Amino acid sequence: MGVGSSHGNGLFFRTLTEKQAEEIHLASCQILEDTGMVIHHEEAVELLRQAGAHVEKGNRVYFPSSLVKKALQTAPSRVTLYNRKGEAALHLEGSNVYFGTGSDTLNYLDPFTFERRSWTKADVANAIRICDKLPNIDFVMSMGLLSDADPRMINREQYAIMVQNTEKPQVVIAEDGATLQDIIEMAACAVGGKEQLRHKPLFMIYTEPTSPLQHPKESIEKLLIAAENGVPSNFACGGVAGASVPTTVAGALVQANAEALSGLVIHQLKAPGAPFVYGYGNSPLDMRSMQAVYGTPEAVLFQGGAVDLAHYYQLPSWGYAGCSNSKVCDEQAIAESTMFTLMGALQGCNIMHDVFYMEFGITGSLELLVISNEVIGRTRRLLKGIDTDKESLGVEAIKRVGPGGNFLGDDHTAKHFRDNWFPDLSDFNNYENWTADGSKTMIDRARDRIKLILETHQPKPVSEEVKAQIEEILRKAQEKFGGKF
Amino acid sequence: MSDFSSLAELVINGNYNGAKDLTQKLIDSGADPIEIINQGLMAGMDVVGVRFKAGDMFVPEVMMSARAMSTGIELLKPLIADSDMPSAGKVLIGTVKGDLHDIGKKLVVMMLESAGFDVVDLGVDIDPDAFVNAVKEHSPQVIGLSALLTTTMLSMKDTIEALKEEGLRDKVKVIIGGAPISQSFADEIGADGYASDAGTATELCRNLIA
Repeated sequence: MGVGSSHGNGLFFRTLTEKQAEEIHLASCQILEDTGMVIHHEEAVELLRQAGAHVEKGNRVYFPSSLVKKALQTAPSRVTLYNRKGEAALHLEGSNVYFGTGSDTLNYLDPFTFERRSWTKADVANAIRICDKLPNIDFVMSMGLLSDADPRMINREQYAIMVQNTEKPQVVIAEDGATLQDIIEMAACAVGGKEQLRHKPLFMIYTEPTSPLQHPKESIEKLLIAAENGVPSNFACGGVAGASVPTTVAGALVQANAEALSGLVIHQLKAPGAPFVYGYGNSPLDMRSMQAVYGTPEAVLFQGGAVDLAHYYQLPSWGYAGCSNSKVCDEQAIAESTMFTLMGALQGCNIMHDVFYMEFGITGSLELLVISNEVIGRTRRLLKGIDTDKESLGVEAIKRVGPGGNFLGDDHTAKHFRDNWFPDLSDFNNYENWTADGSKTMIDRARDRIKLILETHQPKPVSEEVKAQIEEILRKAQEKFGGKF
Repeated sequence: MSDFSSLAELVINGNYNGAKDLTQKLIDSGADPIEIINQGLMAGMDVVGVRFKAGDMFVPEVMMSARAMSTGIELLKPLIADSDMPSAGKVLIGTVKGDLHDIGKKLVVMMLESAGFDVVDLGVDIDPDAFVNAVKEHSPQVIGLSALLTTTMLSMKDTIEALKEEGLRDKVKVIIGGAPISQSFADEIGADGYASDAGTATELCRNLIA
């Protein structure tokens, strides 16, 4: 087992040394064994007790280190997410990196009226359509909370919108186990049955402990359902350094790692070998504003540590990218989101979410999404490193062109210039041509692109039959709630 | 597909070996050399021009297409009287006195040639008299002056003055370009045009000759 991420042609990045990873691992195991966790779920406590954990006061569970070791042995080191067509789309393994949006923002920054307002179902459908079109957005999450849905039905309604507006894989939030069961049903309809879904998972579920050191009933419920159904799952603490996890990066890593490992142990006890994606987040508390903020240098370093621990454990990794604390899509938004995206990619974080998050995740911006798509494109080129094969060294071309010549007219240029990155949204014109095109700034061009995609892009729909089945699942859920809210 | 449109296609794809072979084949079969140029080689370059402008083709690909066209034209030249040779126009170009920079100027030359212009490139460090003599010798419709330095760009004015003294100024359009050059400088020294990049320079020459 080794830490660090190997990208193209020898490009390598790591945050921790192997020794540091081990120190953190041992410290986390110590916390698990000496301090333990409070687990608000009877079945999980029973599973742990039978496996040899010490239980006090009914739900305080102390994890022997051997349980961690055993779970790490059964958990797979790679997980694949498939698209709606059943094609392998995200290979979560090694140093592969994938990017997607975030879920459940409260506000939508309307790119046309510039209002900050609540999301509607139509807004989420449009946002998912844009994700469907953007080549560097690999998976989707639910974008925004629906203001025009029954509040008990929000995650189900979001899923119905996602699965019908893109073929890309999803990462899903569910209010509780029953919601997750319905989402599994909807996904199964879309891919041709539950067995097919287990074989080729279309989505991953995001579940989380409540730091410090507590596991809510719903989180464990979802974790166990996921394990049973072969739905890939994480168990990712969203730590707030200085409040729910220690303020030091290392301390936050120790505690978050302990929480993630405890989730892994429960998950693997329920279904040994079930797909688990390791990771957690950290939004340090700003000690002036009392906000949990995204993408500070410490948060980015924390992610590097988490990913190196994932490599140390040989588990797929989960993390963040493309998110910001800014209230509008301004210079701060691009600075913060771009740094996180580039660093996350170098860290080799397998599946990064929250691209398009503004205002600590309270608001979502499609402009930031579209601009991040370009930033991810640049980043992906960087990860390829420097090819030094004979053809790339270009010795023959240099000899051919000679002193005072020009490579522009040479075959070598014509053959290889397309290997280089090309801007899609960035402007590389000179001043005269830029003004002739209307002197548009990046955000103007992002808004033009949003408009163009909405006017022209229609994602591949699900069949009428699948559509009807999804509606029926929603109807039945609504019925169980005793009709409309 | 006719042989002419196949030839155009080879030019569009930048297949200069293929274009050379097919041009030779057409010559051997007795096709009219002017038609080979107009309906084959130039027709291909016209498509390239449109695609380049639309952003669908990139400069190195345009260069390969231009090379395909010129390999064909080289074979046809001996068969056509100079006066009958199809051309978008003749442009004389050089970097002005005291300045050795020429990458930008070379880009302009390549773009002009690929657009079907006949280009005479005098090279670098060309003094006003040398430009005057070259205008007398080649009778271009356009003369392009290039400079990278703020110190050498002043020589552009001297060159225009020298053309005036020799009574050549109204026989030729003068265009200027280079990093320190602007439209206002062009106006100030009495040039006929300024282009900010090689693509625009080609357009400018077309407009000035039309």
